[in-house]
Amino acid sequence: MERLEPRLAAAARLTLSRRLAALAGIAAVLAGLAAGAGALAVAAGPGRSTTYPGSSAAGAALLLCAGLGLIAAGLVISLNRRPGRIGDLALLAGFTWFAPVWVAWQEGPPLVPTLAMALGGFTLPLIFHLVLAYPSGRAGSLPARALLAVVYAEALLAAAALALFRDPYLDPGCLANCNVNSFLVRSLPSLAHAVEISDRWFAATAAAVLVAICAMRLARASGPARQRLLPVLVPAIAFAAAVVARAVALQRITVEDPFNTALFTIFVVASGAVTLLAAGLISGVVRYRAERRAVARIAANLDEAPMPGSLQSALAVALRDPGLRVAYWLPGTQRYVDASGRAVPEPSAMPGRAVTRLMRNERTIAAVSHSGAVPRMESQIGPAIRLGLENERLQAELLAQLEELRASRARIVETADSERRGLERNLHDGAQQRLLALSYDIRLARGSAGEEGDTPTETALARAVGETRDILQELRELAHGIYPAVLAEAGIAPALATLADTAALPVEILRAEHRRYPAPVEAAAYFTVAEALDDAARRNADHAEVSVVQDDGHLVVTVEDNGSRPASPLTAATDRVGALGGALSIEPTACRAEIPCASS
Amino acid sequence: MRVVIAEDVMLTREGITRLLTDAGIDVVAEAGDAASLLRAVRVTQPDAAIVDIRMPPTHTDEGLVAAQQIRAEHPGVSVLILSQYVEPHYAARLLEEHPERAGYLLKERVFDVANLIDALRRLADGETVVDPTIVARLFARKRHTDPLDQLTEREREVLGLVAEGLSNRAIAARLFVTERTVEAHVKQIFLKLGLSTDPDSHRRVLAVLAYLRGAS
Repeated sequence: MERLEPRLAAAARLTLSRRLAALAGIAAVLAGLAAGAGALAVAAGPGRSTTYPGSSAAGAALLLCAGLGLIAAGLVISLNRRPGRIGDLALLAGFTWFAPVWVAWQEGPPLVPTLAMALGGFTLPLIFHLVLAYPSGRAGSLPARALLAVVYAEALLAAAALALFRDPYLDPGCLANCNVNSFLVRSLPSLAHAVEISDRWFAATAAAVLVAICAMRLARASGPARQRLLPVLVPAIAFAAAVVARAVALQRITVEDPFNTALFTIFVVASGAVTLLAAGLISGVVRYRAERRAVARIAANLDEAPMPGSLQSALAVALRDPGLRVAYWLPGTQRYVDASGRAVPEPSAMPGRAVTRLMRNERTIAAVSHSGAVPRMESQIGPAIRLGLENERLQAELLAQLEELRASRARIVETADSERRGLERNLHDGAQQRLLALSYDIRLARGSAGEEGDTPTETALARAVGETRDILQELRELAHGIYPAVLAEAGIAPALATLADTAALPVEILRAEHRRYPAPVEAAAYFTVAEALDDAARRNADHAEVSVVQDDGHLVVTVEDNGSRPASPLTAATDRVGALGGALSIEPTACRAEIPCASS
Repeated sequence: MRVVIAEDVMLTREGITRLLTDAGIDVVAEAGDAASLLRAVRVTQPDAAIVDIRMPPTHTDEGLVAAQQIRAEHPGVSVLILSQYVEPHYAARLLEEHPERAGYLLKERVFDVANLIDALRRLADGETVVDPTIVARLFARKRHTDPLDQLTEREREVLGLVAEGLSNRAIAARLFVTERTVEAHVKQIFLKLGLSTDPDSHRRVLAVLAYLRGAS
């Protein structure tokens, strides 16, 4: 019980926090609706002519769309528990969006317009923060963080300065509220005016910097990441443009008159941009949920025994990232391989691409290189997919081991061949050459014995000459059998012709192109034919047909005979061909080898 | 007769030089590789070059390449390739461009000086020389239905000598018959085997060799 209690308490806390979150959500919706409805009421009241929503029905609709859109986006993001503060920022920005209208509330308590005036200045930093922190929830780059710090500080300073020193009564540019400032400490009209103007130009400058940062992020992002950023960053750029335009417009107009066509147009652009921004935020959440569902579907489909590499393509489709790569970790050989067991370099993070290491039972199973726009990849991959990945990793490990084995076999055969070749050369240049010299000496000796009339010696030496000739003959055949020089120097076709010249049965070469192939391939083809012909002769065949053709990246060797008994397994040829990744099939009176090769 | 010898194994080179010198033949230059052989031929303009098939640097086909080059650049210089390979492919390769004044002999044969002198004389007369071992092997090749069976014993003998590169006159001398008789035999053989090459040309050697290899 003692051990259970803390858990129950934790569960209770969790339930409580969820309830609180739900309550907070409901409260936020109600407050948002109240703020929006109130703003509409204010706009319809006596201050009607001083606000944009009051100036026309379109203005009212736009104001409502943008503000409620931000609040809705904030709620959707928070309810989906997306990372970071983006949901809170959107909610706050939604509230402050209505503040400029509340300034015109003349019937209410004087504190409301005063507070509204102070809060209105925070819409811009909040929206900037929202955009720069999207989608991870944190403003990543140094310029972005610096910009945020500066705009928040400036907004705070400007709000404080205007609250303390701006007397609306003495402000020639005042429009909505020309009477009340509850916080006024001392009336300093010229300072207040200077602060207002510098605030506008500061906002314009900050907006230009925001545009630059957004453009940079879009340019650097990879394809899928850019797709995710566009719905938020493009409206943000439009909003920033409206901020710049407002600063320029107000430079020429003293009073911010909502009926001024230029100013109203700027308001339309800004509201439209904010509405689209809110829509972009919501669409991001929708997309994220669709991706999660797609990832979940992969897990559901796992029982269909995926082919090697199918999880990679399934994840790529689910996350809409064709560049996604899964590399499996082989702890035994300390390297990464792809699903088919081929070695791949360790995935590394690059601009626009992130690497997530996936663990199972506290061991790395794979590293996934994916678009940087997929936050918290690790949490999206559930246990079922992990199991599938582990399964595919084991398969890849097996394939890698098979490939190593094949490469090792190929090396063994290649080493044996080069030793055979060396042996043939040694025989040719050593024993054969010396025997030639010896036979020459014997001939000379025989000649002098003949001149001296020593007949017994001459006869003996003549026999010795014949003997050396026979040994030479045997050595030559031995050397040729070890490795035919003509195979190395002229290729498979001439070597097969010589094989046919000396075969124990009639051999017809049906096809053999005069082309060169890699030495191991030529040797495998040659020794396969040689072994098959020997076997055919043993089985009393009196005819054999040989063909060697290149077909679709393979050298196809066929030997057909009319032997009376079925062909033997041809062990040596099977090993040779298998070592090169090929296959040898034996039928009753035919053998066919397919050896992978690229002609050289 | 003036000859150049190219052979990288000194023992063999000296042996051949001594044999030839004893037989009254003038060895004007000795070379250890293909490049110095070509230089020597250019400078001394010999009657014949005796060339080892395997020479530095790669010990593969340098001798054959040099021989073909000599035949192409110096039509008056005969070339005799010495080899340890009973390999019709090499012989055919040597003869394919310029069959006249070109020869392919097994090394063991040249230590019988009579063979060597005979081969050099035949080359000087414009004949071709193919080692009898190669021809014998091609004759011995197993065939399903042997077209050589339709030849008489004498015709087979003549065909063998044609394959060795002998001219009609040389064959006549070897078989103690008239040249006219040999001509008739050769015509008859070519007719029976269906060979379309001119029976009097130098290329008949290649045609016969190819026929012997191809017929199965």
